[in-house]
Amino acid sequence: MAVSARLEPDLLDPERALADFLASLSDEGAVVSFVGLTRAANRYGGEVTGLFLDYHPTLTEQSLHDIAADAAARFGVSAVTVIHRCGALAPGEPIVFAAAAAGHRRAAFEAADYLMDRLKNDAIFWKREDGPQGSRWIEPTDADRTDLARWKD
Amino acid sequence: MKVRFFGSLSDRIGREIELTPPAAGCTIAELRRSLAEAYPGAAAELARPTVRACVDDVIVPDTYLVSAQSRVAFFPPLSGG
Repeated sequence: MAVSARLEPDLLDPERALADFLASLSDEGAVVSFVGLTRAANRYGGEVTGLFLDYHPTLTEQSLHDIAADAAARFGVSAVTVIHRCGALAPGEPIVFAAAAAGHRRAAFEAADYLMDRLKNDAIFWKREDGPQGSRWIEPTDADRTDLARWKD
Repeated sequence: MKVRFFGSLSDRIGREIELTPPAAGCTIAELRRSLAEAYPGAAAELARPTVRACVDDVIVPDTYLVSAQSRVAFFPPLSGG
């Protein structure tokens, strides 16, 4: 089981990330990947001109790794990778790349789905939206919590 | 003692400050009160139980005793990724 997770302070290149992930595999039959993009509007429809992701120097990357390892173990997939941006992002920029590989597609789909629900709730970040109306630190939404609750045993 | 702040607390207090705790150390609860007095604009947030204290990379309760050598951080609620 190969698990990798890292913070990316600079621009995230999803095509490169996927190519690297594919190159790391051996005889898996399925790969599911997800790319999250920074939106130009917040949940209330207000304009977002920038996003700032504050992070802890050691615990944030550890949290990404723990979540990726949980996804790999829970669904028995052979490889999981997470690359998450930190720092300042502009609308439209990739914020996260997550991928799972398995012998067959179902496990890979489920692992990637679980991975994103966990990242949206449990990754150690503090996210600030900046816009014409000012700046606002945000917390997970009810929708994020509902998504995560789907995986409770 | 280095005390580090994240998220909204870093806006109110700064990224990191240096404090001299009492020679016998102090609890996290006492540290919260000292910080609230020094930074009134952050007092309400520091009092929130959802703002967690982290010492040497481990989340600790308010009764935890810290010393001059401790690396303390305060975590507002996480946003997730």
